[in-house]
Amino acid sequence: MNSLTARIIILVAIFTIGTSLAIGQQTQKPAAPVGPAIKQIDLEGLKTVLKTDGKPRLINFWATWCDPCREEFPELVKIDAAYKGKIDFISVSLDDLEDIGTTVPKFLHEMKATMPAYLLHASDEDAAIAAITNISSDFHGSLPFTILIKPNGELAYSHAGKIHPDELNAAIAKQLSAGQ
Amino acid sequence: MKKVAILAVMVVALAAAAYSQAQVGSKIENFSLPDVDGKTQSLADLKGSKGTVVVFVSIRCPVVRGYNERLNEIAKVYKAKGITLVGIDANITEPATDVKAHAMMNWDFPVLIDKDSKIADKLGANVTPEAFYIDTDNVLVYHGAIDNDRSGRNVTEHFLQTAFDATLAGKKPARTSANAFGCTIQRTAQ
Repeated sequence: MNSLTARIIILVAIFTIGTSLAIGQQTQKPAAPVGPAIKQIDLEGLKTVLKTDGKPRLINFWATWCDPCREEFPELVKIDAAYKGKIDFISVSLDDLEDIGTTVPKFLHEMKATMPAYLLHASDEDAAIAAITNISSDFHGSLPFTILIKPNGELAYSHAGKIHPDELNAAIAKQLSAGQ
Repeated sequence: MKKVAILAVMVVALAAAAYSQAQVGSKIENFSLPDVDGKTQSLADLKGSKGTVVVFVSIRCPVVRGYNERLNEIAKVYKAKGITLVGIDANITEPATDVKAHAMMNWDFPVLIDKDSKIADKLGANVTPEAFYIDTDNVLVYHGAIDNDRSGRNVTEHFLQTAFDATLAGKKPARTSANAFGCTIQRTAQ
């Protein structure tokens, strides 16, 4: 093999590899959103979420833009793991609808959160807030907000702002012992 | 023993009063706060001929950001009708210099700095944005949300403007409050 032949082989190889990479990039599908699937709910969906189904129900209202919400989430993930199967734990994001496939699942994925996750998108925000206020008058439209509802629908615990894990754990334990 | 009981009742009453929310129909006392340039402004100074709406704002809250254009439009339209819009930033986490820079870029209305959240406490404001419309006699006419859709794309109820229009027409607004949703006013450094 003389030097000219060797140069031609190298050039052909570079061209072939380059073309393959370019084709590969063109046909590459966009990455699927990272994290759990988030279900969109409206006012009626919210009312359903606020109803218990035989177990105490813990609901955390949050948003990715809310710093205290993000800060308290690791504690909520621990609580979810501790009481898996004993209570229903649901997270309800109040982020914008555009975030349902991006920042919301990304954050939940980072948190390793596995509880059912919803995003509330109500056409009438006043009515949606009123639905939560009907359960707990502690809600004043700010996040995070956490409630624990007894199996009979009564409010067992509510907290505006970052949770105090000891208090919430005690409230859950009390409900579980009451149900035995 | 009786004195202790009376004292306990007084302490509870004082604590409750400190955080009680201003009721629609009640009179709001005049107050003064520094603006973003440090100049003291009073509610009386800023009041329009048909009243003032105080809106609690934040430079970091995305919900407020979503309302920037609507607030500027309301300020413009209703200033011409005698109602002035005044923003108040009561977040301890937002320095006046940052608020000034943000206000110059985003808001076409005066903004006051409520450093100790005293006025927020007095009115019972919890979130941003949250509006308090005060008429010419300093009576609170409307309190709460600006409208019923923070995205601005599906607004069906313009709560604040409807309250303005009713008052301007010499009527009592049919609706005097609506639930405000937004970012918690940061009263303490966290």
